Amino acid sequence: MNAQQNQALAARMEEEQIPETGPAYREPTDRIAAIKGDLFASPCSLCLERPILLQRFPKTAQGRLGKKDHPLVKRAKALAFLMSERQPRIYDNELIIGNMTSKRTAANYYPEGGSINILEDLFRLEKRQIPINLTFPEKIELVRVGLAGLFSSIGGRALLKPGRFVHFLDFFRAKRYFITEEAGIGHQVGGYYNVVHQGLQHPDQIAGTCLETNALPDGTPLNRDQVAFYQSIRITIRGIRTMATNLADLAEKMAYQPGMSDKRRQELLASADACRHVPYYPARTFLEGLQSCWIVHVAMNLEDFEQGMSFGRLDRILLPLYQKDLEQKSITRETATEIMASFQLKTCETLPVYSERIDQYFSGNGVAQGITIGGTDENGNDTTNELSGLILDAYAQIRTREPALHVRVHEKTPSWFLDNAVATVQLGCGKPSFFSDKAVVAALTQAGMSTEHARDFAVIGCVEMASQGRTYNSSDAALFNLPLCLELALNQGICYGRRHFGGRMGAMTRPVEQMQSFEDVADAFRIQVEHAVAEMVKVIGWLEETYRIWRPTPVNSMVTEGCLAKGRDVTWGGALYDLTSIQVAGLADAGDSLYAIKQLVFEQKRFTLKELLHILKTDYRDHPALQQELLHQFPRYGNGIPDIDRMTQLAADIFSDAIIAHRNSRGGRYIPGIYSMTCHIAFGRLTGALPNGRGSGKRLSNGLSPADGADRKGPTAVLRSAASLDSRKWANCCALNLKFDRKTVSGNAGRKALAGLFTTYFSQGGMQVQANVLDAEMLRAARNNPAEHPGIVVRVAGYCAYFHDLQPSVQDEIIERTAHGLG
Amino acid sequence: MASGNPKQEAAGLVFSIQHFCLQDGPGIRSLVFFKGCPLRCVWCQNPESWKPIPELGFKKHLCTNCRTCISVCPEGAIVSPGQIRSEKCRQCFACTDACPSGALIRFGKPLSVKEIREELMPEYPFYQNSGGGVTFSGGEPTLYPEFAAHLAGSLKRDGIHLAIETCGLFHADPDTLSASGTITKKDTAQTAHPETAGRLLTLADLVLFDIKLFHPEAHRQFCGTDNRMILDNLAMLARRYHQKGGPLIWPRMPVIPGITDTPENLEGWGSLLAELRLNRLTLVPFHHLGEAKREWLQLEPGPCIHTLTGESMEKTLRVLTKIGISCFAPGEEDWPEYISS
Ligand code: SF4
Ligand code: SF4
Repeated sequence: MNAQQNQALAARMEEEQIPETGPAYREPTDRIAAIKGDLFASPCSLCLERPILLQRFPKTAQGRLGKKDHPLVKRAKALAFLMSERQPRIYDNELIIGNMTSKRTAANYYPEGGSINILEDLFRLEKRQIPINLTFPEKIELVRVGLAGLFSSIGGRALLKPGRFVHFLDFFRAKRYFITEEAGIGHQVGGYYNVVHQGLQHPDQIAGTCLETNALPDGTPLNRDQVAFYQSIRITIRGIRTMATNLADLAEKMAYQPGMSDKRRQELLASADACRHVPYYPARTFLEGLQSCWIVHVAMNLEDFEQGMSFGRLDRILLPLYQKDLEQKSITRETATEIMASFQLKTCETLPVYSERIDQYFSGNGVAQGITIGGTDENGNDTTNELSGLILDAYAQIRTREPALHVRVHEKTPSWFLDNAVATVQLGCGKPSFFSDKAVVAALTQAGMSTEHARDFAVIGCVEMASQGRTYNSSDAALFNLPLCLELALNQGICYGRRHFGGRMGAMTRPVEQMQSFEDVADAFRIQVEHAVAEMVKVIGWLEETYRIWRPTPVNSMVTEGCLAKGRDVTWGGALYDLTSIQVAGLADAGDSLYAIKQLVFEQKRFTLKELLHILKTDYRDHPALQQELLHQFPRYGNGIPDIDRMTQLAADIFSDAIIAHRNSRGGRYIPGIYSMTCHIAFGRLTGALPNGRGSGKRLSNGLSPADGADRKGPTAVLRSAASLDSRKWANCCALNLKFDRKTVSGNAGRKALAGLFTTYFSQGGMQVQANVLDAEMLRAARNNPAEHPGIVVRVAGYCAYFHDLQPSVQDEIIERTAHGLG
Repeated sequence: MASGNPKQEAAGLVFSIQHFCLQDGPGIRSLVFFKGCPLRCVWCQNPESWKPIPELGFKKHLCTNCRTCISVCPEGAIVSPGQIRSEKCRQCFACTDACPSGALIRFGKPLSVKEIREELMPEYPFYQNSGGGVTFSGGEPTLYPEFAAHLAGSLKRDGIHLAIETCGLFHADPDTLSASGTITKKDTAQTAHPETAGRLLTLADLVLFDIKLFHPEAHRQFCGTDNRMILDNLAMLARRYHQKGGPLIWPRMPVIPGITDTPENLEGWGSLLAELRLNRLTLVPFHHLGEAKREWLQLEPGPCIHTLTGESMEKTLRVLTKIGISCFAPGEEDWPEYISS
């Protein structure tokens, strides 16, 4: 086929596909509505099956025998025991089977991770914002399990050691940084292409051969650790197979239960057949492909912890199977969408469990099981296909908090797909988010990936990055409080408020009296950032050591390129690309504050640095007008003003350079990310007043977004500012959130406008963006609590305005209008 | 003060430039709001656009009572926050510059073509990627025919799609206006000479032509002037569009319950539009959102107008559709059909 024919074909395909991704596929089928109904009818709970089995294992005959085993083997045996012994459960109507926990919707309990903190909420589990339902005996069991695991948590093992106590405190106080890695590493996009198309028999055979020949695939003789590694792979695969077989047995048993309808019997038998085959053997059908992914996903969850376990580019991975099934007429577009919706609903079975104390750092973010769609192949050719649209349509049927959906956009992204993606945003679930291939690939190659591998990126969790199946990215290792470093820089390393236990928290930088220029301030800031980063890296290093011994992850290692070649677990540095990522909160606040210092002290000379420090320490108490001026009149990041945006760039560079300078203990790189979950709220509470007018204790800016209320010119200006920043160092990506009321972006015009916003942002260099379309209830919340909901763009009689700028009576009218869908 | 005077037209009096507007023409647009309007519609949602002179506004809900404004006013014109003695105020705007919270605001600033273009230029990519552009609105852009034409010309040279929203009154004698009692001579800028206004309009790709009341007397009652000239202008523009390839004319009508949505009014306009072969109309639903602005400007509250109901909107649609007029919600027009044809 020549290029012209190719183009003609592409054009025809595009034409043909437009009607195929229409509203007809976006209404839930009866089955999907029923599954969703069941899921939502079951209260959130906590599942103790995992810790109970893991604690029982050492007492079994096999466990007692293996006491002296290598840690890798010991872990693999325990995991295999867990997977084989847990109760299989199959729920009504579902087409993809495999229970995540022992309950319909529940959190798994990870004694070796951070789950123990839930004990803090023991006496008010039902009264939490996200209530957890447990019976009384279950609560007793929870206490028993929790206490039994008390000293075996990774954080405890790493930090409760002589000489590390100060760090333990720092870690617990979570002021300068919050180390998430203590809970687990999670956050992975396994090599699902190989899982689906080769099956786990592939790693099993490699491990088998290496053990037989006692050599690595390249012929190097194995050492003791490598032997243990390959053994751990084989043991774990056996566990996964048993888990799948148990599911198959149950499905079969249920199929022949009296009263089972013929239709459901056929479905159950098909599931049984699938689970006897995958994930060990290559999937033969579209359904088996998804079933295979799901079982490995459950294994990944059981092994490490739930956060950010992602599927990668399912539209690419499943396409061959989908096409084959269509050709053989064994599925239709409709049934395939239903299978996909059933698969996506499985992701709603799990949730994270944090105590409410920890929840302020991560509230509402769910688990983020990411599916990435669209994008290009290794050579940069568009890979968007019919499944890309089907995945969105399936999501439109369910509209749930999981999974996370990510759309890759590049110059040749077909317009029908962008249109479908934006139509999905209009549903108001905050999904999908959008990523620019150009910016992401540039950052990943800068972080050491080959262009081909970078082009095969998939999103981990919310926004984090991996070349799928080739990366071990501790992508949410820690979150970092950048503005606090400015506080420390102005105050010789001491926080404004109460004195830090043991005196100084940060580095000993010079007092303000000795700072003669803006550069002196920036230097002190840089020193504080470097100091805090170095401390954090030290703690993470201890955790990494602990992981290698106590929590290696064989499932993760069998789906990550590099491990089987090197004979090394991912925690031992087996992955082709090894990364640790640190995320920043308060970037815009830091940038705006630097700008304000420069203006007020060094250019306009309205205050000396010492006076300004006093104003900050006293939280603007005697200078309310100055605070108002800074908040409302002073130029800020987010309005498309290059001079101000440059300061945010400076803050980002100081942070990025401090991060990039380090290597983790596996020999991997440190990379920065610009997003903050809800950490900016918790960090904000611990941070004093800032020179940009933000009062003490107020929340910080999040991700790449402007500081609260700082954007005054609407979404296009925010995007201009964000796109103007150089993102090449941000290999773990960034998050930019736009918020609109439904009316502003409804209909065809709204869809076109959103697509125009995103494509322009990306063409100007933007990296990531997501848009939340708010309903009346959210607007009501914004009216009652304006400080918590800044930056919402609403339509007022023909033009757009910020919700918080409007008079309460007008806000009410807009809420009314949104509630009733009036024009 | 008469900014309409051609000699002083190095700058146009603009009260706002808004980006990301989706309702006034196709795609993502920026709106340039000119200050000054020859009409005084009772339902007006932008009363700050009326006077062709800069004005002070006060947003009470933002005021923190810091009294900075009182201390900076060189004329002692501010009695207490928000209470300004207009006879003393000399419009130096020291107070709005100093107000830290943005409670005291200035409506209207003379801007040069260069300044406006600099504000718009960074938005060009958004227009290009969404099929959008710039819309002149107001107030009434034709009050500044020379200046607006100058600005329009420079935007057209940049390849930007340009829409002009007009009330249709671009040649009227101010004396007649004041006779109606609604507008004093001081307030009213000279309306544009038909030729200059005509030149401005030929530069536009799209004219959003606001129609309100069909009967001249009703128009005088609710909008402050007779509408004969408006009708003539509409016919003239329609002719130009059909014959000489003038700009696309797109009528729009605010749906004001009990005022513009009466069957007589709808039928009157409907038949005229059909006759002029402009069988399309954007219906802009009425909101009470302009009322807050009246407070900011310390104007009397407008007359009580009922909230628009879905039912009456449907009735309006029925009447117009029967006459053969296609109706659209703002932002939902089928522009592409017209733009490509
Ligand atoms: S505009 Fe000038 S004169 Fe008028 S109130 Fe403000 S400061 Fe006083
Ligand atoms: S300066 Fe502004 S905030 Fe202060 S009293 Fe005057 S109007 Fe109110």
